[in-house]
Amino acid sequence: MRTTKYWAPSLLALAIASPAMANDLNVNGFLSVGATMLDDNKASIASADNQGGFKQDTVLGLQVQKQVNDSTSATGQLVSRGSSDYNTEAAWAFVTYAASDDLDLRMGRLRIPFFQYSDFLEVGYAFNWIRPPSEVYRVPFSSLDGVDLTKRFSSGSIDGSVQVYYGRFQGVFDTGVDKYDSDYRNFTGLAITANMGNFGTRLSYHQAEIIMDTSDATTQLGGAKAAAGAIAAVPEGVDVGTATGNPALAGLTGVGDASASEDFDFAGQTSQFVEAAFTYDDGTYSAVAEWTALDHESSLFLDDQAWLLGIAARFGDFTPHLTYTTEKDSFDSGTEGEIQKQLPLESEQSSIIVGLRYDYDSSTALKFEIQNNDETTASGADGDSATLYSVAVDVVF
Amino acid sequence: MKTFKHSCSVLLIGLASSLASAEISVIVSTNNPNESIDQNTVSKIFLGKAKSFPDGSQAVPIDQDDGAAARVAFNSTVLGKSASQLKSYWSRLIFTGKGTPPKQSGNDAAVKELVANNPNIIGYVDSSVVDSSVKVVHKF
Repeated sequence: MRTTKYWAPSLLALAIASPAMANDLNVNGFLSVGATMLDDNKASIASADNQGGFKQDTVLGLQVQKQVNDSTSATGQLVSRGSSDYNTEAAWAFVTYAASDDLDLRMGRLRIPFFQYSDFLEVGYAFNWIRPPSEVYRVPFSSLDGVDLTKRFSSGSIDGSVQVYYGRFQGVFDTGVDKYDSDYRNFTGLAITANMGNFGTRLSYHQAEIIMDTSDATTQLGGAKAAAGAIAAVPEGVDVGTATGNPALAGLTGVGDASASEDFDFAGQTSQFVEAAFTYDDGTYSAVAEWTALDHESSLFLDDQAWLLGIAARFGDFTPHLTYTTEKDSFDSGTEGEIQKQLPLESEQSSIIVGLRYDYDSSTALKFEIQNNDETTASGADGDSATLYSVAVDVVF
Repeated sequence: MKTFKHSCSVLLIGLASSLASAEISVIVSTNNPNESIDQNTVSKIFLGKAKSFPDGSQAVPIDQDDGAAARVAFNSTVLGKSASQLKSYWSRLIFTGKGTPPKQSGNDAAVKELVANNPNIIGYVDSSVVDSSVKVVHKF
């Protein structure tokens, strides 16, 4: 009898243990609703125009996570974006196997850890901007199918993680102007983060072999590829329009080196991406600096560098912030570069973003933002500047 | 003027001592073998950066409800973050499947009961409610 009494509380403890052990279904979501107004349609920012827009910044995400057993969990996140006509996509769909307390193996559809804010790219609540600056956040897809391994470490006051991944992205590469069927093979990379007190750093490297259908000469890349072939084939110094009898190519000058056109293609050429970020947050003042560089073996994409520097200050529920961001393309050396200079590819631009975040409560933020975008060069021609006014409400639940 | 200054400082001292009297205790079950846990480790457990106690057993942190006095004090003193900052921190982890925030588990009494009945749970309560059913591993 005494034994029974003694065991009863322990059984009760076991019964209570289950719910607190997170053996249940976690449902979370986020919703951002935004409105934009551009003062001038000559420059393009965030797909906005001067007639007002309500869908570009509107995103709904629903996430379900289930702990299947002690070491395995399943996570799915469905995202519906106004910018893609509310087509619902699985941004994440993966199974996590926790090999130990600090080692996770994940398999399925994963976010590519390109950027500081990649993991929560669409969760507006998690950052001060209405959207991460497109000068730096310029890769038009964000998820791949594959595996990754994350090792967390903690030593004294430093903690962080090392993540390696391998996979493949097969899908539509949407530049905002044209869409291309693409296949990024042997997609692999590494991301290292470290935090110490108020400071954080992040370094990442990524590479993939790109196969992309640019056979349609009416698209920007398809047209550039066809023009590159003609420029390469026509003798040096001769007008391409005259030599080919195609008036659309008039004004382009031949380089007389047919082999130079070989890399104006995506037939498995490797692209590399490097990123470094630095963050500071002391609770009142915060700053983020992020630098990125793209290096393409294919000459149809220009190599570029882009960076941003943002600062913010929290005054109670109000957080004013200021960001400068810039992106600049560079040409290849040699004959490929001579051809690139004649194609409508080059871009160089910068933006200043001034915004205010107001934390209405602990799960709702109201944001106002003004972005002045200055395009020095757009598609190889002189660019324009424009100012974008945006408001948004971000909710997490 | 001098008198005014004097009464101001008396007021301030009074206020400071009334704040200080709301002492918070971080508690575990009496069946939990850990005797004392430093602030850095408590913070790591509640931020999802550590998943076990110093002795290696699994640690499951639980929060008090949003707005509870003990929670506000715990967040600002131990975690050094405001409610909005914490929400932002967790939304960065939740939506990547990298972590879930501690479960909201009621007030001082509810947290104490949950902690008392499970050696893996760690919580915090106002020191005034602490009794022999739980063990204090950190105080502030």
